[in-house]
Amino acid sequence: MPPSTDLLQGTLDLLILQTLVPGPMHGWGVALRIQQVSKEVLQIGQGSLYPALHRLEYKGWIQSDWGNSENNRRAKFYSLTATGRKQLESELETWERLSAAIGLVLGQIPEAEA
Amino acid sequence: MIGEVLRRFRFLVRQSLMKRTRQSDLDEELQFHLQNAIEANLAAGMPPDEARRQALIDFGGVERTLEQCHEARPGWWLGTVAQDVRYALRGFRRNPVFTVTVIATLALGIGATTAVFSVVDRILFRPLPYAHGERLVSVGLVHSLEKQEFALGSFFFDWQDNQKPFEAIATQGTMPHACDLVENNPAQLDCLSFDSEFLPLLGTPPVLGRNFTPEEDRPNGPRVVIISYGLWQGHYNLDPGVVGRLIDVDGSPARVVGVLPRDFQFPTLESADVIFPMALDRAAQTTANGGFGTPMRAFARLKPGVSIAQAKEEMEPLFAHTLDTVVPPVLRKDMHLGVRSLRDRETQDMQLTAWILLGSVLAVLLIACANVAGLMMARSEARERELAVRSALGASRMRLIRQALTESTLLSLAGAVVGLALAVGLLRVFLHLAPTGIPFLERAGLDSRIALFTMLLSLVCGALFGWLPALQTPRVVALAARAAKSRKRTVLRRVLVAGQIAVSMVLLSGSALLLKSFQNIEEQRLGMQTGGVFTVQIPLPGFRYNTGQKQMDFYLRAETVLRRLPGIHAVAISDSLPPGGWQGDYRYSDLAVSGKPHPAPGTGGQVYTRRVTPDYFKALNIPVVRGRNFNEEDRHSGESLVIVSRLLADLMFPGEDPIGKRIQAARDPRWHTVVGVAENVKNGGLVEPDNPEMYFLRSNVADFWGERAPLMIVDSVLSPKATAPWVRSQIAQLDPTVPVKIETLNEQVSKLADRPRFETALLGFFALCGLLMAVIGLYGVIAFVAAQRTQEIGLRMALGATRLDILRLIAGEGVRLIVLGGVAGLAASLAAAQLLKSLLFGVGPHDPAAFVAVALLLALVALTATLVPARAAMKVEPVVALRYE
Repeated sequence: MPPSTDLLQGTLDLLILQTLVPGPMHGWGVALRIQQVSKEVLQIGQGSLYPALHRLEYKGWIQSDWGNSENNRRAKFYSLTATGRKQLESELETWERLSAAIGLVLGQIPEAEA
Repeated sequence: MIGEVLRRFRFLVRQSLMKRTRQSDLDEELQFHLQNAIEANLAAGMPPDEARRQALIDFGGVERTLEQCHEARPGWWLGTVAQDVRYALRGFRRNPVFTVTVIATLALGIGATTAVFSVVDRILFRPLPYAHGERLVSVGLVHSLEKQEFALGSFFFDWQDNQKPFEAIATQGTMPHACDLVENNPAQLDCLSFDSEFLPLLGTPPVLGRNFTPEEDRPNGPRVVIISYGLWQGHYNLDPGVVGRLIDVDGSPARVVGVLPRDFQFPTLESADVIFPMALDRAAQTTANGGFGTPMRAFARLKPGVSIAQAKEEMEPLFAHTLDTVVPPVLRKDMHLGVRSLRDRETQDMQLTAWILLGSVLAVLLIACANVAGLMMARSEARERELAVRSALGASRMRLIRQALTESTLLSLAGAVVGLALAVGLLRVFLHLAPTGIPFLERAGLDSRIALFTMLLSLVCGALFGWLPALQTPRVVALAARAAKSRKRTVLRRVLVAGQIAVSMVLLSGSALLLKSFQNIEEQRLGMQTGGVFTVQIPLPGFRYNTGQKQMDFYLRAETVLRRLPGIHAVAISDSLPPGGWQGDYRYSDLAVSGKPHPAPGTGGQVYTRRVTPDYFKALNIPVVRGRNFNEEDRHSGESLVIVSRLLADLMFPGEDPIGKRIQAARDPRWHTVVGVAENVKNGGLVEPDNPEMYFLRSNVADFWGERAPLMIVDSVLSPKATAPWVRSQIAQLDPTVPVKIETLNEQVSKLADRPRFETALLGFFALCGLLMAVIGLYGVIAFVAAQRTQEIGLRMALGATRLDILRLIAGEGVRLIVLGGVAGLAASLAAAQLLKSLLFGVGPHDPAAFVAVALLLALVALTATLVPARAAMKVEPVVALRYE
């Protein structure tokens, strides 16, 4: 497996957790929200979304309950658990450190190239 | 951590309970997603059909997502394992011949390995049953007459006071001696002594009661004993009240203070029922035993981090100092310091045999695994199409490999279970065959350690033969209906078969050498008659027969009554018997001849001595070649007479007449007159060279009877079986309480050959197993190749090849493998035979006859295995062959 996949997978987890902060949401909502917030840059296909949701649920970071959607259809709503919140905090921290570090590195490369 | 495990467990349980709903939940969830996507598309203004189509395209493969969601759960693979197992079992049921063959082959390999391992484990690997057993050593003196370390009082106390490399040092008596338990249920027991440091050194406290206190371990201390578990069980019914009880040993009371653990093992591997304190008198050590001090066995525990070599080095100056003070210069050169690990002390002479047995049985196992690998490969070849289909349907490569490994693991576990059962039987056979000299053999059994070994072994086996075929992943071409089978695949199988032949060659040549050596041992002349001769051993209780006079009186009366029995030709009394076992000895250099210079110290080797009555030579039919035999009058004359063996006569009196010469033995002022020369007798055991021998007359003087319990040698024209009851009743009339042990000389000699017999039988058995499996493997490959080339054969015949050409074509394959394996095997055998060198008697490790015979046997059997399928190929009808497939 190429090493970048780990990063991507971790990132998707982070995105999902962050999306769920305001409140419970179903899978479609999560995908839509990420797409909107990222201004259509991040398109999450169901093929990676649902396995990720199930994985996070198994890890105990999110939990699921059946409920009714805005158009009154049965849907599965995911919400953050206490562990999930803590995990999000620590992942955010890691992410910021990481992106800052990457930014530092990348910030120099364009100059050198330019 | 525990919370995490519990959570996972709960999840698993819930998951399996709700499997159905979960599946439909997932469907529903994805359905909801799809609906939302369609609605979003509609909202974006697409027509309904297009909205649905586009949503489905965006959505991607539903099944794959389901699968991935499934795999994101813990334990999802458990389900696939069950699937794999079910699938494998179905496959096995469909092909019972294959399954049974594989399991039987594995069971044979694993069973034999398990049985051998259970025997050699205690000799080579299992930790000694002591605390810090790996740091325990046997320390003491060794000299040419005693190769096992022993300590002497004069040395020991110096060591105890001044040694540095050891944490603790302790002693036990040199060997157990007979003693009597005199109670309402009397018994003859073995008594031994050890000091109060002994049990702490070994780290095994008594199971009941306590160890000796230092006060009890002093001269004239209280008379206390520790008893064995066996005695506690057999005599006192495990009564805890035995501690503190007074028991009567040899006619005087002793208080029991402790009981040894059930599996207690003396470091000398001897057994004893009653143990006294050593109670060494330190002051007396300078005078006891001619100034050397009491002989004993000393054991010590190395300080952590000190190696045996270091310990020996540190002890050398101490040893040299005592040697110089105590031992006369003549003897010093012959005495050395010995420090050996306790494992070596216990099992050194068996370690080579143990390694050889283990090595050969592992070779058999390797052949078995190679065979099974060959079978598995043939099977996977046949299933190639099926595997290709599964692969095309989406089974990942890992999944296919796992399937193959599941199959091989199942097979090897089944093989292990059957193998364990087989091992129980094999172990019985081993015990039946085995010589008494193999330590721990009677304790060998299949305990949990052995079972674990077997399971691990089978898993390793399974991995070995499972990976090989599994690595050959199905190629896409296999899907094509008439794809040519590649020949590359069989290369691995051919290598395996050649390897099997090579390994069998090694096993066969080893066993051929041992067989030849064993024959040499059996056929050699002993120099005495063994048929019709039996020995009578009567261990007299020492406390009632406490003087030489009493013992002599008993044996002389026994001699008289036995002589009166019908069919008795001769009755002799001696202290020992050739060809093996304990025999008295002197250094040649300790013997002085009147009127001759003393031989240089340390020259001439050992001289065996025996103290015999005149009938000895008659009973064993040893001719007296010069001079005369002892006679009955000599026994009363009080003269000191000896007969020397021809070997000793040649050594001591080269070119002279030994008759009438006088010999003096070390530290004994008496002179002995030579009256005769007896023919040589095999006396160094069956395989060692003979030693010169000197027979002292056992005259009717009490001095000669008190030392070592003599044995009576009876030559009878009737069978020993018929005579034995009479002998027993006659002895019982003299003293009804003494035990009588009767054994034929043939049995005793046969026992000496037990070990070579054991080695030969086992190695021979392994070699035959190996050969059988290698031949089956060879047959399999050739038959497979022949079947694969059926079409080609048909074509060749259609083009004019004769049947002989075909035979040559197919058999050529086999011959190539045989030659390849045979040559490699020969090279390996020549190297391996070196290891056997010390076990061989009268045959060199590179004995040409043995190697030629083995090569011929192997070639013959292997050729047969090749010719059978080759002949079948030859008889193929071209028309049938061309239509094949």
